[in-house]
Amino acid sequence: MSSDMQPLAPSQSVGPEYRPATQKPTATVSTPLPHENVHTLPQTPQLIALLTMIRDKNTGRADFIFYSNRIIRLLVEEGLNHLPVVGQTITTPVGRTYSGVKFEGKICGVSIMRAGEAMEQGLRDCCRSVRIGKILIQRDEETSKPKLFYHKLPEDIADRWCLLLDPMLATGGSALMAVEVLKSRGVPEDHILFLNLIASPEGAKSFAEQFPKVRVVTAFVDVGLDSKNYIIPGLGDFGDRFYTM
Amino acid sequence: MGTSSRYSPPWGDASIIGVAGGSGSGKTSLALAIVASLNLPWVVIMSMDSFYKPLTPAQSKKAFSNDYDFDSPEAIDFDILVDRLRDIKQGKVAEIPVYSFEKHARVEETTTIYSPHVLILEGIFALHDPRVLELLDLKIFAEADSDLCLSRRLVRDIKERGRDIEGCIKQWFDFVKPNFHKYVAPQREIADVIVPRGIENKVAIAMLSDSIQKTLHRKSTLHQQELRRLGQIAEESPLSENACVIKQTNQVRGIHTLLMNPETESEEYIFYFDRMTCLLIEKAVDFLPFTPAQVSTPAPHNYPYMGLHKTLEVSAVVILRGGSAFETGLRRTIPDCRTGRILIQTNYRTGEPELHYRALPSNIAEHGLVMLLDPQMSTGGAALMAVRVLVDHGVPEDRIVFVTYLAGRVGVNRVLSAFPDVRAVVARLGDDMEDRWVETRYLGC
Repeated sequence: MSSDMQPLAPSQSVGPEYRPATQKPTATVSTPLPHENVHTLPQTPQLIALLTMIRDKNTGRADFIFYSNRIIRLLVEEGLNHLPVVGQTITTPVGRTYSGVKFEGKICGVSIMRAGEAMEQGLRDCCRSVRIGKILIQRDEETSKPKLFYHKLPEDIADRWCLLLDPMLATGGSALMAVEVLKSRGVPEDHILFLNLIASPEGAKSFAEQFPKVRVVTAFVDVGLDSKNYIIPGLGDFGDRFYTM
Repeated sequence: MGTSSRYSPPWGDASIIGVAGGSGSGKTSLALAIVASLNLPWVVIMSMDSFYKPLTPAQSKKAFSNDYDFDSPEAIDFDILVDRLRDIKQGKVAEIPVYSFEKHARVEETTTIYSPHVLILEGIFALHDPRVLELLDLKIFAEADSDLCLSRRLVRDIKERGRDIEGCIKQWFDFVKPNFHKYVAPQREIADVIVPRGIENKVAIAMLSDSIQKTLHRKSTLHQQELRRLGQIAEESPLSENACVIKQTNQVRGIHTLLMNPETESEEYIFYFDRMTCLLIEKAVDFLPFTPAQVSTPAPHNYPYMGLHKTLEVSAVVILRGGSAFETGLRRTIPDCRTGRILIQTNYRTGEPELHYRALPSNIAEHGLVMLLDPQMSTGGAALMAVRVLVDHGVPEDRIVFVTYLAGRVGVNRVLSAFPDVRAVVARLGDDMEDRWVETRYLGC
């Protein structure tokens, strides 16, 4: 382990409530954050086990894809819960009334290339004919700052709720720039949901400070960044592991 | 929870009928005729031939030269027979040995007998062992003329068991005939009914069949009383702590609205049902016990992470036919999930659930979690039976989770009070006794 390890990872016993703490296995869980706009998935043993699989360097590509897709679906399900609904009362097949809800508002996905594109399948699994825009942001070799290279977004994006997709949030440079792009196209800040697999506390903090109305939905907040701005412990390069490794 | 809420299925107290009689007296045909006249799937014939003791090499040699006495009680492994009969009587799974007459040995495979309401035990010594007699509900002795017996035996041994005529006749006079008088005939004394002329005796068969029908009817009534009693216990209590209704988030409520709205297109219904299934399965697999494990992230960092590993298998058992609506969602979550199947049908006449078919993974007792899948639970009768089937196959109660889309409080309580360590994951609590519309909508018929 590197010597610049900072704060200690929070560890707790995880498992169903009915099981006494002594019978629950202990694992590292998500770092708690004070920001109100960051929503972390419930730290269930199942989620921890899925994350363990995708972090493990011995997990092959097929398994990596499958298990990350499973987490992504949970992220999408959680993210969609932040969308508005309107009441709708219906008569059930057995003739009872049910006061339910109807999904309200149009949505679209926006993936930050290329790792974000890996999350499109999970989004489509939950929203069949969803429109998906793309944004390519690369680090500028001269200034070493993120630079917008390409974007293609739905025409009417200003009227849509945007699910911004990027699995890893380190410093947040490109994700923050992507939010700027969306805002410049007329999307209100509070109509943007950032769906993310693993975040660093630093990245989450930047989001909270710069765009307090953008909701960040993440599966796990790691302990921090190393001197080269890689997430600790993270899972390596998501795009490489998903597409090419 | 006390024993007062335990559930016993209709096969929990199987009726066992013994049919004894001399060799070639038509015991098997008589048993078959009784089964045919009952015309029910829960009647099984078990032949005592399955319980011949495996022979030592010396005995085997004798057997091949027709010098071994197969017609003495000594040749039968009564200990195993009694053991298996007791299991069947208690409604457990019984593995019955298979005896090969060509090799004079038990073969490796066994036949499984499970959940017969009636078992007919037929064999020359069916009424011989006092331990067996204790387990029998009806004792029948088949009577036949000895010339007829000999001719039948010759035909069978030569045609079906590959013997030669000299050997067969030698056996008859050396063993079969003397043993008949010594061991077989005395069983008439303790028989309840002696049936002469075998299958030609239509009156006797009809009488026996009636008597068995009455027993079955009595058991069905008792079983329904039992269900009603469990229902009362369930009705009076609040929803069991072991029932987990998934969080009714906006998305979940939105999906409910779409699924329950009769105007939703079928394609739409299937899509949203599959999505709901994924949520249910993800919730259910949380009951799997995990083991702590440290992993390391890829090079160059190789950071350690203290996580959890799945060390035990999760499997599913689909309660047909409704449960099959869960399979798409199940495979999306666990593509290689081993999946057993059970068909339980409700008898329209009696309203009683009946077990028609069962195919379970062989090592199911060792799985870390077994999910029982049924999209809708109304009275809980089928669910009770399905849980009981798993328990009978050695799955510990606390490793069973019942997964359903729609359930009533009383139905859930009925199952969870009968099996206090079983858990249930439910997407929506509805009325008890709703029609089974969930799977009908999914499967389109």
